[in-house]
Amino acid sequence: MEALKVAEDTGFIPPAPPRAAVSLDRLSVAFDTANGPIVALRDITLDIEDGTFLTILGPSGCGKSTLLRVVSDLVPMAGGNATVFGKSPEQARRGRDIAFVFQDAALLPWRTALENVKLPLEMGIRRGQEIHRSERSPEELLAMVGLKGRENALPHELSGGMRQRVAIARALVCKPKLLLMDEPFGALDEITRDRLNEEILRIWQETGTTILFVTHSIPEAVFLGQKVLMLAAHPGRVKELVDVGLPRDRKLKMRESAEFVRTAARLRELLEEC
Amino acid sequence: MSIVNEIPDKAAGGSLRELLPSSRIVAPIAVLAAILLVWQTGVRYFDVKPFIAPAPTDVLAVLVSDYPLLLRNFWPTLSEALLGFAVGNIIAVLIAVAFVHNRAVEKAFFPVAVFVNTIPILAIAPILVLIFGNGMTAKVVIAALICFFPTLVNMVKGLQSVGKDALDLAQILSATKNEVFWKIRLPASLPYLFAALKIAATTSVIGAIVGEWIGADVGLGALIIDATFNFRSPLLYATVFVSSGLAVLLFLMVTLLERRLVYWTANPRH
Ligand SMILES: Nc1ncnc2c1ncn2[C@@H]1O[C@H](COP(=O)(O)OP(=O)(O)OP(=O)(O)O)[C@@H](O)[C@H]1O
Ligand SMILES: [Mg+2]
Repeated sequence: MEALKVAEDTGFIPPAPPRAAVSLDRLSVAFDTANGPIVALRDITLDIEDGTFLTILGPSGCGKSTLLRVVSDLVPMAGGNATVFGKSPEQARRGRDIAFVFQDAALLPWRTALENVKLPLEMGIRRGQEIHRSERSPEELLAMVGLKGRENALPHELSGGMRQRVAIARALVCKPKLLLMDEPFGALDEITRDRLNEEILRIWQETGTTILFVTHSIPEAVFLGQKVLMLAAHPGRVKELVDVGLPRDRKLKMRESAEFVRTAARLRELLEEC
Repeated sequence: MSIVNEIPDKAAGGSLRELLPSSRIVAPIAVLAAILLVWQTGVRYFDVKPFIAPAPTDVLAVLVSDYPLLLRNFWPTLSEALLGFAVGNIIAVLIAVAFVHNRAVEKAFFPVAVFVNTIPILAIAPILVLIFGNGMTAKVVIAALICFFPTLVNMVKGLQSVGKDALDLAQILSATKNEVFWKIRLPASLPYLFAALKIAATTSVIGAIVGEWIGADVGLGALIIDATFNFRSPLLYATVFVSSGLAVLLFLMVTLLERRLVYWTANPRH
């Protein structure tokens, strides 16, 4: 919106936005440990188109979390390059293009659900900086994730699933262009997980946000992802990028469809090879 | 760090007990009444001399008759304990903040703090009275010193109790160090701080009284010494009773403040 207006006023035509939401070019990440450096990711080359729902699978310790953390500028790159909407991860982070949902909801226990959702509006905003805001108010976001009426509840008064919903609402408050989710439903029971899976799909369809979603569950990866990225371990590298041939609009019962079963079986094979 | 371990226990025990307010109040009162009864009958039955051990009724009589004397000595001790509590805890909190902001400061000063803490307060009290004289200052310093260390340790622990996820979140939001301190670290430290303040509430009274033993004309500590050397045992007992009443009073004040400020009962990391 802003860019268009600038173009009209000045005659300056901004360069076409890059198509890739996330672009990784021979990206490597290493950690220094007491036993010398560990290569967590090596030579990852990957383009993720804007608007994609990408799920990430792989054996434990293969670098799934590290991949999300390097994209969001929580860990530095050791080699190669990563860009987020054409910017460096740091610029993207400062520009509030990225939101992160952790496995543990990471709510501040002294803040109510609503105050937790508002936290991104109270922190890290430099003087004069304009940040994106969701069209929905924090109250509406809470209602959208099914927590209408619980605005004033403290985190310890909410169930695990509810806390995770608050975390999702908080992630959406700054209208992120890239939503990173690291096993967000890993600690939840299956029924809650199914419901939140449907909810996150609905949010994705509604907002058009690019989502990178790490999971340990093959059915979850297939149900949510348009593509599934399979990583291999030691060192972390791309094993395969699998397309999921299911329509955008998904119903839970599609998990019995032939395409779903076939893709899940293929992923299980790949995972065993890792 | 037994001080720190107190927090989860408190969180776990609170709710069940609050369901049974009657037993919570009635049971201790019954036990206390039984003790007083045994004491009273024991003293009377064995005909113990009052200057060795007065009966509870003798103590009560003095509490009533010498009420103005007790009150006159109550106020100085209260102000010394309160001032010492304030000074000791404020300094401890500020130093804890400095430690958390700067590792080098912590490395340099923490061993010193540990060393100071190993000096028995009874040993250092005469030195402080020599330095600061017979007035109120020495008692305030002693009370402050006795509060200082548990608060320092707990506050450092509390400021560092913030989970990795919360810090990652702050970084994703590009939060400044100041914002992390005020909006995350400081609130997270409050349960730990209050665990230490509850200890300090009672120890600050001990500090003030120890200071008064060594050199003072007024205060509950001075009255204890005076009553002891004049064999006024009922007065001695009454003074001890008032002293612990003072500690209980401070403890209750801290507990009330804690209820207001630390309203999120569950332990942050559970
Ligand atoms: N901060 C760190 N310091 C040192 N090594 C680390 C650090 N973070 C991750 N690693 C190492 O990097 C590798 C990848 O870790 P990562 O957490 O990304 O794996 P993961 O795929 O998310 O595993 P899981 O499925 O168990 O969550 C592991 O070998 C891990 O030990
Ligand atoms: Mg992980």
